[in-house]
Amino acid sequence: MASSDTEPPPPDPSGKARRWTGAFIAVFVLLQFVVPLTYLGREDAADERFTWRSFTEAAVPACETSAALERVGGEREAIALEKLIHRDWVDYVSQGRRAVVDAFLMKQCEADGVLQVELVNRCDDERGVREYTLRCGGERPHETTRTAAR
Amino acid sequence: MKPLERYWFGDVALARPYLVLRFVLALLAFDTWLNMMPQGAKYGVGAFNVAHFPWFDGFVPSSSFYLGVLAFTGVLALSQALYRPHRIAIVLIAVGYTLGWSCSLLDSVPYHYLLSLYLVCFVFFPMLSARSAFSRSDRAPRGSVAAYVLFCVTTAIVYFYVAAWAAARGESYWLPMVCCVGYLLVSMQDRVELPALHVVAPMLVAAPLTFHLAAPQQGWLPLYMTGIALIVFAPTQWVHAFGRALTQPARRLVDERDEDEGGLDERASRVFYMSLIGLVVAPMVSMFVDLPGVKTGCSLTAIAMLVVMGRQLYFTPRWRPLWRVASLFGGCLALWITMSASNARFDYYREGALDADRRGDQEAAMMFREKADRYAP
Repeated sequence: MASSDTEPPPPDPSGKARRWTGAFIAVFVLLQFVVPLTYLGREDAADERFTWRSFTEAAVPACETSAALERVGGEREAIALEKLIHRDWVDYVSQGRRAVVDAFLMKQCEADGVLQVELVNRCDDERGVREYTLRCGGERPHETTRTAAR
Repeated sequence: MKPLERYWFGDVALARPYLVLRFVLALLAFDTWLNMMPQGAKYGVGAFNVAHFPWFDGFVPSSSFYLGVLAFTGVLALSQALYRPHRIAIVLIAVGYTLGWSCSLLDSVPYHYLLSLYLVCFVFFPMLSARSAFSRSDRAPRGSVAAYVLFCVTTAIVYFYVAAWAAARGESYWLPMVCCVGYLLVSMQDRVELPALHVVAPMLVAAPLTFHLAAPQQGWLPLYMTGIALIVFAPTQWVHAFGRALTQPARRLVDERDEDEGGLDERASRVFYMSLIGLVVAPMVSMFVDLPGVKTGCSLTAIAMLVVMGRQLYFTPRWRPLWRVASLFGGCLALWITMSASNARFDYYREGALDADRRGDQEAAMMFREKADRYAP
């Protein structure tokens, strides 16, 4: 096996090496074409990762967020998001970034005696009011959207 | 050869892959230290995390994990930029860097993904020495480097999508489209049978330069893309002359060392012991950096360097292992100097203090504040 330390100058690839290189190139290039197209199927339009839609982080306006959990006894308890997680996560939650909202609600369900967790995002734009409810033990939070009152 | 084969396997001036690889690695090292490390205090807060990919579900990266990965990646990247890169090291850099950004959505900087794609291309670059990429004459060495063409095509695909999304939004898309076409054409400019491209290609550099310098973009993306464009689009003779001037001191030093007198056995044992001592001492420099995880990161870099050197360490009578250890030293020293001379460390502790204050964690806030005061500019 040739040393990988230095190859001056690189030899012309053999027929077999060309075939392998060609196969790798085809897969790598195809992947690069396919990955940005996955944006078209994403349920979260704010999620622009790996798409080259922008060279800056998307500035999605944040909404007013409140969260609460319901314990087994029936009592409700407000959750202070800023006290629990970093400010950047709070921003993600208030922008309605679905993956983060889901993870946050599931995390709250990990505490003892929690029956249900709710999160409400009140936005002044077309996103309106969005409520996310997770029944602990359930699979995925349920989302309800109401148009903002103008 | 068929046209497609000619496109991928045709000759390029070896100066280009040599310079692109080193430029990106060096910039990536300082980028991780100056722009990514100050964000480290966000990690692990409230044991909450969402990663970019589902296979990280349940893993909450701590501050020290994140900083350790970045220190490892940065030091290894700079050491590879300083001395002849090794394929195993490039693989480790690619893995470390990708792990660094992908372990959390806290890092959603779009171009970090692009750098990971570049690093994958670099794994297949020829690991050229300065003496093989730059001849003493004006004649620039050429060779078939499909990975370099893939690097150019990767860049072209990025511009293609920038143009496509802009068109979909009804915005102007001609500039990124010219960049895309430019990168697709430019990898062919070193082939002697295409003299027309020698004239056109260097002029196309105006497109990426305008695109990245005219519009505000996040982080150091304009720096990366401007440097890359200058190396990729410049006429062969310019790149060759620039690289030759840049590497002249290193080439002269290696030439002188090769002519050294002395028995091979004696020199081999000297090199072996000196290299071992260097590998132990170099990570100790990181003790002065005073950031969590950095000592572990630098120690792992030394272990990676040991793996990279492998049998070379005790079998070679040449000075190569010593240069590698020197490059590791250079990386560790650069990390320390960068942290001491910049606000990166202060920013890390200040952000940590502010966040701990917000969450009402007085103990953590006090610890962060003490350190922030110590490193305040």
